[in-house]
Amino acid sequence: MKKICVMFRSAPHGTSKGREALDFALLSATFEQEVSLIFVDEGVLHLLKDQQSELIGGKDYLATLKALPFYDIDSVYACKQSLADFGLSHSLLSIPVEILNDETISAHLTSVDEVLVF
Amino acid sequence: MSKFIIQVNGPAYGTSASHSALRFTQAALSSGHEIHCVFFYQDGVYNTTDFNLPASDEFDIVAAWKQLALEHQVSLVNCVSAALRRGIVSEQESKENGLPHWNVGSSFVMGGLGELVTGIEAADRLMCF
Repeated sequence: MKKICVMFRSAPHGTSKGREALDFALLSATFEQEVSLIFVDEGVLHLLKDQQSELIGGKDYLATLKALPFYDIDSVYACKQSLADFGLSHSLLSIPVEILNDETISAHLTSVDEVLVF
Repeated sequence: MSKFIIQVNGPAYGTSASHSALRFTQAALSSGHEIHCVFFYQDGVYNTTDFNLPASDEFDIVAAWKQLALEHQVSLVNCVSAALRRGIVSEQESKENGLPHWNVGSSFVMGGLGELVTGIEAADRLMCF
């Protein structure tokens, strides 16, 4: 078992990075790795609720974020500064996340075995 | 000595990700390190098509990966779901789905994301490009 942190840095929909990051995270969890997710930079836009991916020909993978507890992925973090940069307050987010500042993000990244950035 | 697993997320052409991954893998091998496998994910699957035809004065990255696999017995694994949604199709999937062509060369094997995860578990360090 390894501690794997999946970092979402890219906005949803414009590329498939977020979708393939989530695929990897869920698969890792089913293989009984200790998985954490962290949303930073444009990646925090994944957390905005009521998005309709189908309207731009996408797959609604964001709905899957709600299933994270069923995969035992309980460590879900968002960057405080990035949320502020995009004007995202807690009430606009689709899932519960723990909001971290730069120092705690750094500490988390050093505490895991591998970080995959998407 | 360490055991690495290499993840390639960039395409064969258009970014330097694949080339950097290749150079790292070559350097690791020549320094005596072990490579668990090279796993092609996201746009990295574009490295595995036999239909790349760069001009003769350009570096042929697909050929270089094949050469590396042959020389060092390194397993080159393609993420099957990432590949199929990008039109990167092996002979087996082509036949199963009644397609007229396939493009994945025999140097590459199709595998699931599970192979990436078990590889990460087995390796000392994951390197992503």
